[in-house]
Amino acid sequence: MNQHPRLSGKPGRALRCTVLGIVMAAVTGCGHDQDLLHKSQLLAMGTLVDISIWTRDDGLAQRAIATVTQELNDAEHRWHAWRPSPLTEINSKIAAGQPATVDALTRDLIKKSQILASASDNLFNPTIGKLIEVWGFHTDDRPDVPPPAQDQIDALLANAPAMADLHIDGDHVTSTNRHVQLDFGGIAKGYAVDLAVDKIRKLGVRNAIVDAGGDLRAIGSHGDRPWRIGIRNPRGPGVIASLEARGDESIFTSGDYERYFIYKGKRYHHIIDPRTGYPSTGATSATVIHSDAATADAAATALIVAGPKKWRAVAKSMGLKYVMLVDSKGTVYMTPAMAKRIKFQIEPPPKVIVAQP
Amino acid sequence: MMTRADKVVVALAVTALPLLYNTFWGSSTQGDTVRIFMPGQPPALVSLDRDREVTVKGSLGPSTLQIKDGKVRFVSSPCRNKLCIHSGWLSRGGEFAACLPNRISIVVLAQEQRYDAINF
Repeated sequence: MNQHPRLSGKPGRALRCTVLGIVMAAVTGCGHDQDLLHKSQLLAMGTLVDISIWTRDDGLAQRAIATVTQELNDAEHRWHAWRPSPLTEINSKIAAGQPATVDALTRDLIKKSQILASASDNLFNPTIGKLIEVWGFHTDDRPDVPPPAQDQIDALLANAPAMADLHIDGDHVTSTNRHVQLDFGGIAKGYAVDLAVDKIRKLGVRNAIVDAGGDLRAIGSHGDRPWRIGIRNPRGPGVIASLEARGDESIFTSGDYERYFIYKGKRYHHIIDPRTGYPSTGATSATVIHSDAATADAAATALIVAGPKKWRAVAKSMGLKYVMLVDSKGTVYMTPAMAKRIKFQIEPPPKVIVAQP
Repeated sequence: MMTRADKVVVALAVTALPLLYNTFWGSSTQGDTVRIFMPGQPPALVSLDRDREVTVKGSLGPSTLQIKDGKVRFVSSPCRNKLCIHSGWLSRGGEFAACLPNRISIVVLAQEQRYDAINF
């Protein structure tokens, strides 16, 4: 009993101190962590944006949140596909066969989209605004009307708009095809997230997630652990898999569950296959990790359109290392690099096919 | 020897723990997984999306958990007071129940706690 004379002198007090110490450590430890994580939410680009900044500098966090808010609001205004915007202005000029004036960012976005469209064999095709419009996705709240008629879709497909129809000359863009109607729904979010992250980096932010409605770019870490990302199960509740973001990565998922309407019992989702003019079939979600959010965004769009048969070819031509595709039966297709990082969170785990692009 | 003051402090600390856990780790969102702490083994994660019964070995004997409709509760325990069973159903992130005599405790996890962001 007397092996620890110091403690045995007043055992009661020692015990009290120990218990209180543990409780206090738990309280202050957690409180401290919470103080370093600054979170904010806003509505922008038609989605809920979550900003997480991990820093000791409260002022920096507030400036960063304000900067991201500003960047995303600017992007929404600039590239809104149906409310009057500089983009709808450009589309009117193209339809009239006239050159349109473009600002520097829009010019850069067009150039980037041309490269990505070409690399994806035009499965990422941001010129099919008319098709998206006739499907009723150019409204905030689609009225309950039937899907477009086959001859209407055929006519729009015959116009064959493509990014290659656009030509940039200084601050002007012209189109050799009047049927080009730009809709950057498959890339603008990513591009805007890149702009926002570049800006907050310049402010001095090292650790952050800018999550624009489930599509995100993560830099740095959450204190002494990596940022942990869950990937939504396309068919069912919760998360299908998780992964940790490393250093600076954009993780984008396109899913057929994001926007859709049901007409006479049939479900029509918002990702239109530019080859058929109909919502894409075969894949229910496509996830891409890439250093650059704009590329990840466009690639996820192209891959869900490509589906289980063509995803490898698209991943290869777009130079993608990390791809995960889920098909309508729940089978998961992955590149070897992705397979090493994905941890499934569903029981039983899905059937997995790992293949080189 | 524990003095009366010691007992009061220990009792307060034990009572406060679930509250503290909930305050600092909890959220009010629907949980999807239960983490089960048991003696001599690493904690186990069990999904709440499938109805089933799970029996775990505690220091006194087996305790049984029931998972149903996204909720979890203790249904049997070798302890005397059955406080764990009286805790009833848990379903929201951070909700916590424990059988201290049998050294088994459970906490419901919600996605928001396990992930910094959900990709969709």
